[in-house]
Amino acid sequence: MTGFRRIESGGRVDRTLPLAFTYNGKALNGFAGDSLASALLANGQITIGRSFKYHRPRGFLSAGLEEPNGLFTLGSGAMTVPNAIGTVTELREALAARSQNAWPSPDFDVMAVNSWASPLFTAGFYYKTFMGPLQKSWMFYEPFIRRAAGLGRATEEKGNQRYDQRNTFCDILVIGSGPAGLAAGVVAAQAGARVIIAEQDFEAGGSLLCMNIGALETWRADCVARIAKCSNARLVTRATVQGLYDGKQAVMSIVDPATGNVRLEVIRFAAVINAVGAFERPLVFPNNDRPGVMLAGALRTYLNRFAIAPKQRAVIVTNNDSAYQAAFDLAEANVAVTIAEHRSSSSGELLAKAAQLGIAIFPNSGVADVLGHPAITAVRLGGRHAVTIECDALGVSGGWNPVVHLTSHGGIKPNYEPRIASFVPGGFAEGHFGAGSVLGHFGTLATIRDGVKAAQQALTYLDLNDGEEIEFPAIRADRAYGIQAAWTPVEGAESGKAFVDFQNDVTLKDVKQAHQEGYSNVEHLKRYTTLGMGTDQGKTSNVNALAIMAGLRGIDVANAGTTTFRPPFSPMTIGAIAGRSIGKHFRPTRRSPLHDWNEKNGATFIEAGPWLRAWYFAWAGSSPETAYIKEMELVRRGVGIADVSTLGKIDVQGPDAAEFLNRVYVNGFAKLPIGKARYGVMLNDDGVVLDDGTTSRISETQFYMTTTTAQAGEVMSWLEYLLQCHWRDLDVHVASLTDEWGGMAVSGKKSREALQLAFPDADVSNETLSYMGVKDVSFGGTTVRLMRLSFSGELAYEVHCPANYVQSLWEHIMRAAEPLGIKPYGLEALASLRIEKGHVAGLELDHRNTLDDLGLGKMAAKEKPYIGKELRFREAYQAPDRWSLVGLELLEPEKKLRGGSILFAASDEIKGHGRGYITSVTWSTELQKFIALGLYQGGLKHEGEEIVAAFPLKNEQARLKIVSPHFVDREGARLHA
Amino acid sequence: MLEARSPLGVAARFERPGVVLEEAADFTLTQVAGETGTLRKLLGKIPGKVGVAQEHDGRTIFKTGVKQLWIVGEAPAAADGVFVTPLSSSRTRIALSGGRARDVLAASVSIDFHEKHFKPGQFVMTGIHHTPVLIHSVGEQSFHIYAMRTFALAVWEWLSDAAEGL
Repeated sequence: MTGFRRIESGGRVDRTLPLAFTYNGKALNGFAGDSLASALLANGQITIGRSFKYHRPRGFLSAGLEEPNGLFTLGSGAMTVPNAIGTVTELREALAARSQNAWPSPDFDVMAVNSWASPLFTAGFYYKTFMGPLQKSWMFYEPFIRRAAGLGRATEEKGNQRYDQRNTFCDILVIGSGPAGLAAGVVAAQAGARVIIAEQDFEAGGSLLCMNIGALETWRADCVARIAKCSNARLVTRATVQGLYDGKQAVMSIVDPATGNVRLEVIRFAAVINAVGAFERPLVFPNNDRPGVMLAGALRTYLNRFAIAPKQRAVIVTNNDSAYQAAFDLAEANVAVTIAEHRSSSSGELLAKAAQLGIAIFPNSGVADVLGHPAITAVRLGGRHAVTIECDALGVSGGWNPVVHLTSHGGIKPNYEPRIASFVPGGFAEGHFGAGSVLGHFGTLATIRDGVKAAQQALTYLDLNDGEEIEFPAIRADRAYGIQAAWTPVEGAESGKAFVDFQNDVTLKDVKQAHQEGYSNVEHLKRYTTLGMGTDQGKTSNVNALAIMAGLRGIDVANAGTTTFRPPFSPMTIGAIAGRSIGKHFRPTRRSPLHDWNEKNGATFIEAGPWLRAWYFAWAGSSPETAYIKEMELVRRGVGIADVSTLGKIDVQGPDAAEFLNRVYVNGFAKLPIGKARYGVMLNDDGVVLDDGTTSRISETQFYMTTTTAQAGEVMSWLEYLLQCHWRDLDVHVASLTDEWGGMAVSGKKSREALQLAFPDADVSNETLSYMGVKDVSFGGTTVRLMRLSFSGELAYEVHCPANYVQSLWEHIMRAAEPLGIKPYGLEALASLRIEKGHVAGLELDHRNTLDDLGLGKMAAKEKPYIGKELRFREAYQAPDRWSLVGLELLEPEKKLRGGSILFAASDEIKGHGRGYITSVTWSTELQKFIALGLYQGGLKHEGEEIVAAFPLKNEQARLKIVSPHFVDREGARLHA
Repeated sequence: MLEARSPLGVAARFERPGVVLEEAADFTLTQVAGETGTLRKLLGKIPGKVGVAQEHDGRTIFKTGVKQLWIVGEAPAAADGVFVTPLSSSRTRIALSGGRARDVLAASVSIDFHEKHFKPGQFVMTGIHHTPVLIHSVGEQSFHIYAMRTFALAVWEWLSDAAEGL
């Protein structure tokens, strides 16, 4: 006879605004103001899902955020949202909801066969069953288990949902808009503080929404209106504070009612008022999970807020006074109500009122069993009155649990409060205040008083105006709570499954078994049974479980402790956490000032750190494997132009600039002539190579330093650190010019001709601009810096100018040198040309190699001090068997060389880490074979030896010869041409 | 003459209700560093603290660090004890304006941009989309964002996307 009916009048739903929605494809109707749960109940949908493990039929347990059973998948395709809590999902037109964990339907579910095999699925079932016989057995079983058990399934389709994030600031954050939160909000707002009142529901009012008391509704509406009038206050509904963090920071998720999109706000507050309320907890008795068994407060909410009542009869079972109000309201809605009272008696006032409404009360009684399938049809009482009562619904109240989660996020453990047989926050951090039922104060007037007081405390704390008192609603005095804890079933209870945790299908028997098997600490209990896990995180189960375990251990509940609550407070989509940092916004892309030109002229790009760099150009081919070779040939035989704007560039100026560089680089810079550049290497203070580059002297007191692309930021920070912390006496200033200046390499034997064509008024002859010469020329209204440097080993120049003009300058050089056949070349060719020349770069400068490892030891000055000099000579850094730079030539032409290959001596077994590895590899256009740079134990002492390169990922091996790393133009004739 | 090019393309502009993004190009930015007395002698007066820009003689002066200023406007002449670094190409200036401009900032930066706390003339050195920026309030609803040139397009796309979500 289970059933619910929509009452023709009353409630907060708007009957003039009907909403059409679907449930498992079936067209249904509800009203504006309904939750998905209330609309389903109004449509007779009592069984709305199947349980996690046993696939038992389940209905709604609650009317709020604590709901363990009523989870749905909303939407379809790319817009699928799994695990939406039906009790807090606002009904909207065309909402499409589907049940979860049930096939083909919640009413007939094939996997319900699990229930028959339930003796197998006891606590620790997975650990005992699926860990053998082999070590990796769990990996085999896991997919099958996840398919059989579980919650909703997320879509892998890309949707067009937006997940925005925002930073918000306020003086006072009020969490919750129940009577305490509203009172606090009004007082704080009217005092002029910047206030945010966050309410997770789609309507403000909290517990006031489930009461049918005119004076309270008037008070609620008045508070909301007062807050709305204050421009300094913001009352946000559909907004859940998911976490409270150190540094007075909270994270709040806000649901857009029209689209379901979630926005995350990071709130920095000066003070917070925690008015999050309390959740009602169930009682543990056999078959307490039958659809139609609900929390008593939920029955009251469905009645007063959503105008939904059990069809004819309801039973209320309680151990406290709060559930009586649910019974009274139901009776006044013409529902025949019976109360099973765990206590021997309740207050005279309640008894009198119950009698007046025709409510039968069975004291010293509880529920021994719940009858009916799939949903409730009757309740069998145990205890003193063993009677069976037919009913449509059973309202359960085991007491109320203050929501201690948010204070726990800050590391404050809850305290057990025997007065309310539950836990309260163990304290509040500085600037944090509590109000209302979160403190264990359950009367409406008491919570309003709390809210006013907390607001006044927060205002005082912030040195703001004292808050004024507000008008209290004209209602009768608060009733006593009168709880008598009841953790286990009454005497005479049947042996059916008595659920402690509904979402994870953890029963009283499971808790007892965990205790018997030694998992009696609450943290062990949680892991062994899964109790308290899942989307509801044990909001309805934790306290019962802790108390039951305490009883089994013979200790006080206070000593049993609690598990640790962590954010988020309620289920959140991962999308909300990722926010807009997805796709191209995942990280910022850095573009050279020549990016647009490269893009329009056939460049294929490659990510290099944050940079997007031109990898190769379409003129040379459509794949990198072939294009870079053509581009190399262009440079070796004619002239090419490449974007080198990504190089780090640093302005070093001041009277002591030369001395500064002389200390930073291993080689001498003190006497570098004006108009000359020098290659320099710097070590970190461990004596390991930090970076290399060329630095040009522009004037007596100014230098233009370039660094590698990869280390630009690190070198800049290093120089600043040295000047600010070590050498404050040096009068030097450094400034990053990486973004200010851009540049291009013009390389190849025709490069001088190219520059002559581009700058006819400048003398770029070998005599005036010799190798490593630097010259500033004025061209096109700006300064252009010509530097005769070569990364490729050919006659080459770098041409730099302020970034705004780089593209225009590049286009000019391209036009001028067109008769020479100039074309662009990309990063792949740039990096390959330098391998042929034997220049080290980022792959060799990996912060593990010393100067000597890289064959650069001889360039270090002997006399002068420089950073890293002392530690450079540590014994281990001078060991003869260090992995040192070598050149490598492939001896087997039919094979390919791969970067990262492990190097072995010819006689070695191919196993382990070998004697070194290949750092950089390329096809040599000069030698017509694969060549490489690598690090090899003992380095060039083995020159001429044949060794083996192994690439285990592809099971490849190749024979190589160790040679000098300088493959082309060892004498440097081309550089000096 | 070489032609100046912007990383944002030609006449970049983005508009949504309450938000306009456009490039405020053609500015001269110079970093000068030196002892306070020397800088004061060079520029007349200089701001004493970070956070509030000073406007005089056609220049906007930002104190950006210890003994360090940014000058938007005519570059000062070289002088003894003053380190001058031209930076006009290094930053792209994005003008953000409109009734919801502060909301765009709130979606991008964890700083309080409430009109009572971030008034015209004030500036902050902070980050947008993991890149350093200087944000200068030039009116009740108008802001200049100095973004690194090489990241300017990424910042522009981040800001315009933030505006889409308001």
